[in-house]
Amino acid sequence: MTPATAPPAAAPGIQRRSGSAGRARLFVGRFLSRSDGRYGLLILAFFAVLALFPDLLVGKLETATTATGQSLQPPGGGYLFGTDELGRDILNLTVHGARISMAIGLMATVITVVLGALVGIVAGYVGGPTDTVLMRVSDFFLVLPTIVLAIILAPIILDIVGADAELFGIRATMIVIIVVIGLTSWATTARVIRSQVLSVKMRMFVDRARVVGSGPGRIMRRHVLPNVVNLIVAQAVLTFATAVFTETTLAFIGLGDPFAPSWGQILNSAQGAGAPGLGAWWYIAPPAICVVLVVLAFTLVGNALDDILNPRSGARR
Amino acid sequence: MTVDLAIRGRRQWPMPKQADPAAPLLRVEDLSVRFRMPNGSVKAVDGVSFGLDDGEALGIAGESGCGKTTTALSLVKLLPANGYIKGGRVELFGIDLVPKTELQIARYRWREISIVFQGAMNALNPVQRIGDQIAEPIEIRLGQPRESSRKRAGELLELVGIPRERVASYPHELSGGMRQRAMIAMALACDPAIVIGDEPTTALDVMVQAQILQLLERLRRDLGLSLILITHDLSVIAETCDRVMIMYAGRVAEEGQVRRVFSAPRHPYTQKLLSSFPNVRTDRRTLEVIPGMPPDLRNPPPGCRFAPRCPSAMPVCSEVVPPEVRFADGVRVACHLYPTSDVTSDPPGARPAAPTAAGEPAP
Amino acid sequence: MNAHYLARKLAQAFVTIVAILVLNFLMFRMMPGSPDRVLKNPNLTPEMIAATRARWGLDKPLIPDQLIAYVKATVSGDLGYSIFYRGQPVTDVLGATVGPTILLVGLGEVFAIIGGLAIGAYAGWRRGGKTDSIGTGASLILYSMPYFVIGMPLVVIFAAGLGWFPTSGMTTPGMSDQPLLNQAWDLGRHLVLPLLAVTLGLLGGYSILMRSSIIDTRNEDYITTARAKGLKDSWVLRHHAFPNAMLPMVTLIAINLGYVVAGAITAEIVFNWPGLGTLTIHALSARDYPVLQGIFLLVAVSVVIANLIADIVYGFLDPRVRA
Repeated sequence: MTPATAPPAAAPGIQRRSGSAGRARLFVGRFLSRSDGRYGLLILAFFAVLALFPDLLVGKLETATTATGQSLQPPGGGYLFGTDELGRDILNLTVHGARISMAIGLMATVITVVLGALVGIVAGYVGGPTDTVLMRVSDFFLVLPTIVLAIILAPIILDIVGADAELFGIRATMIVIIVVIGLTSWATTARVIRSQVLSVKMRMFVDRARVVGSGPGRIMRRHVLPNVVNLIVAQAVLTFATAVFTETTLAFIGLGDPFAPSWGQILNSAQGAGAPGLGAWWYIAPPAICVVLVVLAFTLVGNALDDILNPRSGARR
Repeated sequence: MTVDLAIRGRRQWPMPKQADPAAPLLRVEDLSVRFRMPNGSVKAVDGVSFGLDDGEALGIAGESGCGKTTTALSLVKLLPANGYIKGGRVELFGIDLVPKTELQIARYRWREISIVFQGAMNALNPVQRIGDQIAEPIEIRLGQPRESSRKRAGELLELVGIPRERVASYPHELSGGMRQRAMIAMALACDPAIVIGDEPTTALDVMVQAQILQLLERLRRDLGLSLILITHDLSVIAETCDRVMIMYAGRVAEEGQVRRVFSAPRHPYTQKLLSSFPNVRTDRRTLEVIPGMPPDLRNPPPGCRFAPRCPSAMPVCSEVVPPEVRFADGVRVACHLYPTSDVTSDPPGARPAAPTAAGEPAP
Repeated sequence: MNAHYLARKLAQAFVTIVAILVLNFLMFRMMPGSPDRVLKNPNLTPEMIAATRARWGLDKPLIPDQLIAYVKATVSGDLGYSIFYRGQPVTDVLGATVGPTILLVGLGEVFAIIGGLAIGAYAGWRRGGKTDSIGTGASLILYSMPYFVIGMPLVVIFAAGLGWFPTSGMTTPGMSDQPLLNQAWDLGRHLVLPLLAVTLGLLGGYSILMRSSIIDTRNEDYITTARAKGLKDSWVLRHHAFPNAMLPMVTLIAINLGYVVAGAITAEIVFNWPGLGTLTIHALSARDYPVLQGIFLLVAVSVVIANLIADIVYGFLDPRVRA
């Protein structure tokens, strides 16, 4: 290569940023400039720490046998959030609850997003009768209220499988909740992904030359998927919010696992112990506030992502 | 100044309280409008001046983005949230509208100046019957009882050639041409002094376009309407307007009587514009294209904004803003090809006086 | 109202209801040992059991005979017998609890719709202003709170703490002997907190959606036309923006109705409100399948009907659809 045709020499020490790294920096910049993105991320970071290191922060999860406090004591005397009816430290329960609530939410989200994206991409890309059938099915699931379906399915599945059965070390009750949330939430994701796929499909006809000769699976994987990944991510975050919300509700109703006290489960115990009527606010406030903060944070982050990544959302901020 | 008292005398509704009955209908002086954008301020309209007299039809022409719609909308301060009038005067019957607040200017909207928007499909409320939409300003702005407002709406529809029964129709039930007529009927509802037509025929096919233009002409004659017609289509202006104002990049390039400007265009931009329109009658020839693009109005070039694309550009053009000069035949041009020493010195926008010898430099 | 549109919507609703019936049927049969297990109900006489077996065609093949028998039985109002409630027909059990739920949820929806649409409309219209920040912020927070997370603090503060309202239940025991006015007052006192919980729980979502809708509507050309007519800003909002922004809301409200009845379950638990929700919990812990089936059917069909009504209402509101 002669000096005349060599690319312009960069000054020593200056790196040239590659395209995707540059875009990532741009994205991070845009995300952090939004107040909803910032606060949401901050809150999530806080709870991530709680969820990842509960033992470090408050010691092992207290059970009925290891409880040391008096029953239903208000905050004070070494118990920051007081005690429950079994004498357990509510701070301890709440911090451990972070891991449980978020873990369930995460697994439910994975199922929802995988199923929803799969159906959405296939329905959108393949079109025709497949699309119609898939959309009718998803319409049906959209109409069914989550809670009611959960309430019906949970006891049925538990009766079939047995309440103490375990899968990968996860108790059946928890699996049921995860599966139920997934079953009832995938339809929304599928619809959203499908519309994006439809508009990608339009664009793709311009790129016909590239995709000629490839099978549909390959096209879907290599051409459609990258274009909807952004949307999938935004949907996943929003689904996480719904998953935590729904898990809390289902646990409150009594479908949760008493041995794995998610925040909803704690509130279930509180209600069972008559905490509201007794004015035992310390039992109610910590898990309640945590749930609200986490759901709010996911919603804020999800909205921010959706606005930034989804071109059709427009300048709605 | 000619004030056509005969036309003013036919007004159904009283003049605004602050109006000067002897003042000309509309005088716009040195109007500047800006838009605040995240990466700079767009100087959309920069020092535009013109006038309109009773019964006149003025056409404002230019490419997309030249500021013609913004100019018209800013007459009643109908700008989006990020737009504002930076300076200038808009004198309606001698009343300056620029300093008016949102509440004060409401008096003048529709009752003195109304607008026929383009693309009437979206400009009409889809869930409201057109009769109600026409009657709305009569009832609310003029305080007329509902029954007579509705009756008047029916009359207005007939006036524009739509059967009276269609008052009960919804916008989507009308054809494109009928919707545009309905918009015109609506614009006439309060018997305004000035009607602004913003590309009123752009979305229509040629036959319907001709009908609409005929309608406007008839209304002008019969009702003594004063019209400002905004369009990029010079043939429309040639048919309907008395005077034309050519705008480029937020400034006035040339303005004068249609006959004079179109037969002997002085500004290079006008010349280019006219030659890029196909003429059905003359021989086929290649259409001229104006090379380049209009400037980015966040950072307009110094001097004449057309200079980068102008075939007759001189060094002074990219340095000094060309002053407006007025010719003896009443045509105004802003171009360095016509130095001020050659022409008379009336202030911009004024009516042409009798032709004089070479005079002082224009202001 | 266009007959074709109406017919189409009715047909869709019908198909969905059939699908729900089939789903219900399958779930019923999916459980091990059922329906015999259900009929092992100790409160049923052998004659009743035999008659039911015949009516449900349990000795015949599953499909199509049992399915058809099931559909026939359901449509004629035979939903089986409750295990928990000692052999009472499920229809009776449901009937006793539907009223309180409709009262609570119905009123809650009405208030939430009125409040949510109003707040959302003003917040979206004056976007970026103080109304918007406060309104939207509060809506987002409420939207993240399940009904019981709203309800439990309400009880702690206003019932247990301040003592202004009773802590639970719908009526005070012994009220039925009192004059009607006293009964009404008693009901009202018990209704306030649960109603507040349900209303606040719904309001956030409606407000946020309405805000979006108004912001979209604001950019439409006919709003510029309305402003050009010199109409007051509040008039433009009320007469031009709002009617158009409402249209997508109608569909969303209908879709929401199903979730509302279901979600109100948690509100009923907190306040011990004797409605469908409380019934569901009891039936759940007692594994009273017939009742659970009945609830599912009731809620699912209500949702379908609610959607149908919404479609009809939408047809009235949007003239473009009727064509």
